[in-house]
Amino acid sequence: MTTPSQSTLPMHGLPLNVNGVMKISAAVLALSLILTFYGLLTQGHGAFNTHSYGITWGLPAAAYVYLVLTSTGLTFVASLAMLFRFNEFYPVVKRCIWLAIATLVAGFATLALEIGHPFRMLWALPSGLQYLSPMFWMGVFYTVYLLFLLWKFARIHAGDWTSLQSYAVGLASFVSVVVAHATLGMVFGMMAMRPVWYDGMLPIYFLVTAGLSGIAFAILFTYLAYGFNREKMPEALRGLLSGSAFSGVFAAMIGITLLMVILRTITGLWSNLDGLQVYSHIVRSPLFHAELWLGLVLPFVLMLSPTLRRKPSIQITSSVLVIVSMFIGRYEFMISGQMMPLFKGSWIQGVIEYTPSLTEWMLTLVGISLVFVLYTVGERLLKLAEHPDAK
Amino acid sequence: MAKWGMVIDLEKCTGCQACSTACAMENNRLPGEAWQDVVFYTEGEYPSVQLKWFPRPCMHCENPSCVDVCPVRATYKTEDGMVLVDWDRCIGCRYCMIACPYGVRFYSDEKPLVEPDIKKVFKGDRKYSWSPPWKMPQSKEDWKHGVGIQPDGVVSKCTFCYQRISKAPEGTPDLEPNDPALREFTPACVVACPPTARYFGDLDNPQSHVSELIAQKRGVRLLDHLGNKPQVYYLTGEAGAVPSTRGGREA
Repeated sequence: MTTPSQSTLPMHGLPLNVNGVMKISAAVLALSLILTFYGLLTQGHGAFNTHSYGITWGLPAAAYVYLVLTSTGLTFVASLAMLFRFNEFYPVVKRCIWLAIATLVAGFATLALEIGHPFRMLWALPSGLQYLSPMFWMGVFYTVYLLFLLWKFARIHAGDWTSLQSYAVGLASFVSVVVAHATLGMVFGMMAMRPVWYDGMLPIYFLVTAGLSGIAFAILFTYLAYGFNREKMPEALRGLLSGSAFSGVFAAMIGITLLMVILRTITGLWSNLDGLQVYSHIVRSPLFHAELWLGLVLPFVLMLSPTLRRKPSIQITSSVLVIVSMFIGRYEFMISGQMMPLFKGSWIQGVIEYTPSLTEWMLTLVGISLVFVLYTVGERLLKLAEHPDAK
Repeated sequence: MAKWGMVIDLEKCTGCQACSTACAMENNRLPGEAWQDVVFYTEGEYPSVQLKWFPRPCMHCENPSCVDVCPVRATYKTEDGMVLVDWDRCIGCRYCMIACPYGVRFYSDEKPLVEPDIKKVFKGDRKYSWSPPWKMPQSKEDWKHGVGIQPDGVVSKCTFCYQRISKAPEGTPDLEPNDPALREFTPACVVACPPTARYFGDLDNPQSHVSELIAQKRGVRLLDHLGNKPQVYYLTGEAGAVPSTRGGREA
């Protein structure tokens, strides 16, 4: 067992920023919860702009996918040190695992308020055992993943970073999340009637983009923990962020994601397959260009520069841009699979229009603010800066 | 055991929507929540525009993707070929609505399609999503088979009027609305169709009228390339057509 390093946070206590973020995010969470429940209690899911004749899964479903895939990515980042022995990543491991728990719980919370009978799921899912449904397996594996994450966090919180049991639990959480994210990919990828989604390699696309979200979250929240001031960081962490390993992996993941987004779009625009007309609609959307140019190309260029990519301001800016871009990407993916009517004569002649309602936005905000609340609580109570002395 | 299916003759269908009305009355549907819909659309451009219509119930597929995706087995296929929803199990995740290629499923808890919101005019108690002024007898209510006035937060769909056809005498090849002995067991849309464009019978029985019609008039199925194998066949003849696209690239 390795001794955790001491005094990983400034001696005078937590940076004010974390406390400030905690207060703001708790206020946002309370307000968004009130507005969400007001909408749901007064109108039910009629408070959503989703409809049987239109978009069935809307913004909250996109937020769920975004949050749970970010959790996946954060586990990947933690696994770099815990499983693959890239020891320089140890300083961010505990924070990443806690953030993985926070994003997963926030994703579950968003989904629970999006579906009709969340509590019925607790008995209907295990008693049904519909093994043919990817959503059934998604539920099973994400639950298993959450349990392993909690177990893993408990081990390292107790100071057990390197025992066989700790390693085994880390391995189990990694394997379970790879399988969980793959089944989430199959929830969409198996839908032959929706050509924008139908893709056997969709889980790989989710894997890559999840990894990118995870890295961006890890960078942003690490800076947040130290008041966006790298000088306040302990030496090992400062070394990680000012070195080329983290930013290099970040750049590589942005590059691969960029390639996938561009290739998917070109394929969609080129193909005559009925249903892919939606791509010509997507490329006319300002959101798509914000996602592509501001959220992927710009951070990629910044991260390619050997001097720029070491600067804190550039790293923070790039991570924020990528985080926003990934959210746009999830939303776009979710909606685009449903925008074309299923066949001519489905009442709607062209592309199905959809604008999220206030309640849908508030529910999304519940998920996002819950991540911040859980994170700041963890930062305050659970010593997220701890790490074993890197050998 | 019969495998119930429907044949719709598009040459005879006039688009009058008597089927939609009869279905709504029989099954207590909300306005706009058309389990049995007739969709209207145009083809061509001015001055050669054609108005088309297409009657569309649930296809009760042989390989129903909605059944396979349901994580809690709330949607299931009966031995006699119907795809139904158990409202006591449905969690309202709406994955079946995503996976259905025909758009024939409806979520009970969403914005009204037409105003005023009839659910607010005829409010239901906590058990039911609304309380229609006319409703089917309580004895026919059967949530395990998606029959009755539905609760909030579940998905509903055409049942082929399960409350009727499940009582049909065993071994019946066709449920003919013109036969007084079988009329009460025949789906409401078939009974109500003024030009008798609808036929309902046992697809597994080669002697049934529906099987003969499919064979002799070359019945086709909607979006057959997807492999769901609908149990609703269309007779196109010379004038009818099944929509084959989503609306073209100009959309």
